[in-house]
Amino acid sequence: MNVAAEIDWGKLAPLRLRARAIAEGVWAGAHRSARKGAGIEFGGHREYTPGDDLRWLDRRSLLLHDRLVTRQFETETDRALWLVVDATRSMSYRGTRARGAKYAWCSVVAAALARVAVASGDPVGLELLGAGARARRVPASGGREVFDRIVMALESSSVDGDAIADAGVVQRSLAPIVRMARRGSIVVVLSDLIDLPQGAAREIAALGHAGRVVVVVQALDPDEIDFPFDGTFRLRSLEGEITVETDGNAKERYLARLAQLTTAWEEELSGRGARFLRASTADDPGDVVRAIVEAAR
Amino acid sequence: MSFITALALGLVALVLAPYLAHRLRRRSADVRDFAAAHLVPPAPPMARRRSRLEDRALFGVRALAVIALALLGATPLARCSRLSLARGGASIAVAIVLDDSMSMRRRTGPSTPIHFARARAGAHEIVASLVEGDAVAIVLAGAAPRVALAATTDRTAAKAALDALVVSDRATDLEGALAVARTLIADLPQADKRVVLLSDLADGHRDGSTLALDGAIPAWNALPDLAADGLDCGVAGADRAGLRVKVTVACGPSASAEGRPVEIVDEKGAVVERSTVQRSRAEVTLVLKAEPPGSLVARLGGLDALAEDDVAPVVTESGPSAVAVVAEAASGSEGPSGAPAVEQALLALAVDSTIRPLPVLPDQPQDLSAFAAIVLDDPPGLTPEQRRALAAWVESGGVVLIALGRRASTAPLGATFEPFLARGPTYAPSPVAGARRPALHPGLAGAAETLGDIAPRGRATLGEADAHGYQVDIAWADGAPLLLRRSLGRGEAWVLTLPFRVDESDLALRPGFLSLLDAFVREARRHAAPRRVEVGSTWVFERPRALAVDGPAGPVSVVRDPDAARVTPAVLGLYRVREGERSESRVASVATREMDLQPRKISGESRREPLGAAHARVDVSWMAALLLMACLTAELVLRLVLARKEERARGADLT
Repeated sequence: MNVAAEIDWGKLAPLRLRARAIAEGVWAGAHRSARKGAGIEFGGHREYTPGDDLRWLDRRSLLLHDRLVTRQFETETDRALWLVVDATRSMSYRGTRARGAKYAWCSVVAAALARVAVASGDPVGLELLGAGARARRVPASGGREVFDRIVMALESSSVDGDAIADAGVVQRSLAPIVRMARRGSIVVVLSDLIDLPQGAAREIAALGHAGRVVVVVQALDPDEIDFPFDGTFRLRSLEGEITVETDGNAKERYLARLAQLTTAWEEELSGRGARFLRASTADDPGDVVRAIVEAAR
Repeated sequence: MSFITALALGLVALVLAPYLAHRLRRRSADVRDFAAAHLVPPAPPMARRRSRLEDRALFGVRALAVIALALLGATPLARCSRLSLARGGASIAVAIVLDDSMSMRRRTGPSTPIHFARARAGAHEIVASLVEGDAVAIVLAGAAPRVALAATTDRTAAKAALDALVVSDRATDLEGALAVARTLIADLPQADKRVVLLSDLADGHRDGSTLALDGAIPAWNALPDLAADGLDCGVAGADRAGLRVKVTVACGPSASAEGRPVEIVDEKGAVVERSTVQRSRAEVTLVLKAEPPGSLVARLGGLDALAEDDVAPVVTESGPSAVAVVAEAASGSEGPSGAPAVEQALLALAVDSTIRPLPVLPDQPQDLSAFAAIVLDDPPGLTPEQRRALAAWVESGGVVLIALGRRASTAPLGATFEPFLARGPTYAPSPVAGARRPALHPGLAGAAETLGDIAPRGRATLGEADAHGYQVDIAWADGAPLLLRRSLGRGEAWVLTLPFRVDESDLALRPGFLSLLDAFVREARRHAAPRRVEVGSTWVFERPRALAVDGPAGPVSVVRDPDAARVTPAVLGLYRVREGERSESRVASVATREMDLQPRKISGESRREPLGAAHARVDVSWMAALLLMACLTAELVLRLVLARKEERARGADLT
């Protein structure tokens, strides 16, 4: 069964206001990094996305090939922020102690980061892992409107996709970033990392090549962190159609396996120069945003 | 609600409580969404099974422990419904009288065991209650009473003997069985001697004297609830002559078979002929439409207390039913036809047999086979061939009546009466007139009375040795034998010391003469027909060659001694007897008194201390204690083993 799960925004709604509020607290210490004006060095083309500055629309391409293509310049991509938010079904999980679903919490963090970046004059782009047919990726661009596009993309996306069944979901989502993110770009991946296919850690860490900064945030629900269940019960995974009959005695072995998984991710990412952060959806998103900003410097 | 009921309910609740707790604990597991479910190890198989197996085993152990505890606490009150002997400190000698008669085939319901099975189970309980040093003997009360086990202290032998006992169709002889039982244990060294009676008390003497259970060796009627109370009718016999079948129906004193159907059934179970009993104790005659191919069975329809006696084989009376008369014709004064007096008398009796006058006795055995009886009136001796043929015929079941007179005493040389008489008779004028001695044969009672004034001209006198071999049924006034009888093989020889001719004596003119002939013909017919005895009677075969008897239930055991073999039919039905090359059929029929299912009155039990009880107090404390210890040990071992397994499984999972 592959039905898009409803997103439990919980205390994190509305996303736009929450993100702004969080960004206000972070922004105070940030400095403006982007430059205004035309680019200095042509950096290539990309497809036009509604909202792009029409000044950089490549009219020649439009006339010759009838395609809307935007010209890019190096100056715009120096400190671009690429946000990758995991929108597979496992991100819809919310325990009793969490502020909202993992996707909602990651969306708040991502939107806040986008707001911070926009305030700094840096271009921001968004990619979603999974998210189904309605997913809207936001190409990296500057300007205030990109924040709105990111918020809209996050809010309108459904949590869908099965990373266990679809092993290519990570590769497909990261491909645009690999192609377009320039040296100095910051890639922030927000995911629970627990359902991603084997090799995902290596693919994400590979983003750090060519001078990019990669920050991976593992966002887990409090229930996933300490496994508070007791008695005999059956657990049904949100991806992979897995049902496990177990009891409270499995806590120790579960935590061991989770730690093993986390350690594997951390070792893989750290070994390739990426930063790894671990967060709980019960944590204050502002603290996590600051941690990410610190980690990205 | 009594205290015992409340106690029982409480015990049930105690036993069920762990089970209910187990079921509640084992309610179906909740299903929860959990994103990291694939990281969660499933509960180890042992742990999952534990909720079923371990808990079930523990539940069983705990339930057993609760039961053991309850038994332990209830030991002073624990009683069970079983027979046991009341005992002091001394050893007991007990004789068990077990009724194996036909009435013990009764059952109170369709699914309940027959009374004999209950009685045998009671005997087992009695034996089980005996202790070391007690002696037990077993006597069967079916007529005739038999010793199934002589007094012994070996309880295993007693149990084996009880297991081997089966119910029979015999009549009941309670007094004889009690006497045998008392005799068996009378001389035993045990001071405390008792007889245990396990019977329905239906011995057909309900109006007779009461059965005394007291005495030097008291008896205990241990199962009074077996006392019979039903009504029963049955087929006492079914005889067939030609196409006519005569079915004799007998009933207990209060029962009536009136209106019940009587059926003749062939070998395939098809009803050949049917009629209805018109009144109680009636003979029903049915006429078959055709000669049936096989054997027949007479069946009394309807329901009564005993179904076993409602069926009896139809016995075909043997073919030789004719009566041969070898006598000289009348000399003119004996009637217009000139037929001998004896022949005329037989015709006058209108016996259901053909009267065949013969001029001389045949000297070939096969020529005699058509006759059931032969009357020889003053024969002038018998030739060797005649003697041989006649002896073989008698030994095979024929009955001969030899009237000795003047001609018999003057037999020519070589013409003797062997093997019936070793020496020839003498004939002389009779010194006395009239017979005096009463008849021993029941059919001759009337004859003896009317022969008291016969005045013959002369009479035959037998040699002393010859007379000694015979039984004298009627004697002359001076004690000399007048009518003698002797069994010879399966037949009989009757010797009369008077001829039938009226010019020699007035015997043929007396009414007793007809009685004598009637008794003779009936005896001959009885010999010609298959021998019918009450079940439980004994057939004695003197010096038999190869003897084999097959009954309704298969081969029947033959008891042999140097001079004779004995066979006792224990169940109703037709028996095939093969003795050498000769075979015959015999019938064991029901004893009609066994159809009286009313119990006989007993006395003497109320005047003494009870000899036993039907509800024994049982000391189960040692068994309960052992069970409790076993339960506790089992739980400890179970927990230890399962804990180790679980620990091993957890270690394997972590690695």
